[in-house]
Amino acid sequence: MNRRELFQKALGAGAAVVAAGVLRGQSSSFNGPAGGSRGSTLVTVLTGPFDTSSYPNGVRPLTDTPQFATYVRIQAHPGQQGKIAIGTSAMANTTGAIADSSFLELWPNWDGSSDNGRSDTWILTDPQWNNTINLADIYVWPEIAGEAPVITAFQLA
Amino acid sequence: MTILSPSAASGPLTVSVAPVPIAASSTLVNQLSVKPRLGQWSKVLVGGPNLGTDESNAMAVLYPVPFGGQADAFVVQDQGGQNTIDLSQIYVYATIPGDTPMVEAFEYKTL
Repeated sequence: MNRRELFQKALGAGAAVVAAGVLRGQSSSFNGPAGGSRGSTLVTVLTGPFDTSSYPNGVRPLTDTPQFATYVRIQAHPGQQGKIAIGTSAMANTTGAIADSSFLELWPNWDGSSDNGRSDTWILTDPQWNNTINLADIYVWPEIAGEAPVITAFQLA
Repeated sequence: MTILSPSAASGPLTVSVAPVPIAASSTLVNQLSVKPRLGQWSKVLVGGPNLGTDESNAMAVLYPVPFGGQADAFVVQDQGGQNTIDLSQIYVYATIPGDTPMVEAFEYKTL
């Protein structure tokens, strides 16, 4: 049982509806706001530990289909031990060292002993809160297979 | 439609013995971040075309993270939502030749 299933079981049917809603960015059928738009309600489209293990070399785009967000946050998962590389599709296509094709790496936070326990985190926002960040253009690679950074994305719907 | 897209100039930037511009020709972006690469030993300087290896005219002096931890960063973004930061005018220097500070840049594109 993974964390989402545990959460749903603990909090019942209401929680199940919430969990299904906030993860809709991972559904290939979800058609979010158009790129560059700006709605009136902040909606979470990605949240929770992000599993990349089923993708080639463990490199996964944040969404499989274009989804336009106004805010993205990627956090090294406390307790996990590998670096997290963030990049573009070049990272998925590389034949060399994957992190050498990234544009950013996050340092792991395996025991909270460095940086006063804070986890390394990357945040990208549109300065005017328009839905301009295509989640399908951003790729993530955990250095250690099976580890899962914590990822959150918001749209203004 | 307008999207904020990763710039082709993003990625590890190889620095030899002198400050190098992030882009060889004029490249306007909305957001830029420069960080020392995790595990490398270089102090990283960021500046304009007049950046000196002695830290003269440096906009930022970033401490290395040879043993890990959150990397120091120089970050700038146009809050007006325009591509106004010219990467050819931003120079980076690493105190150890061959080190590769990480550059992250995003630009507005119209599709």
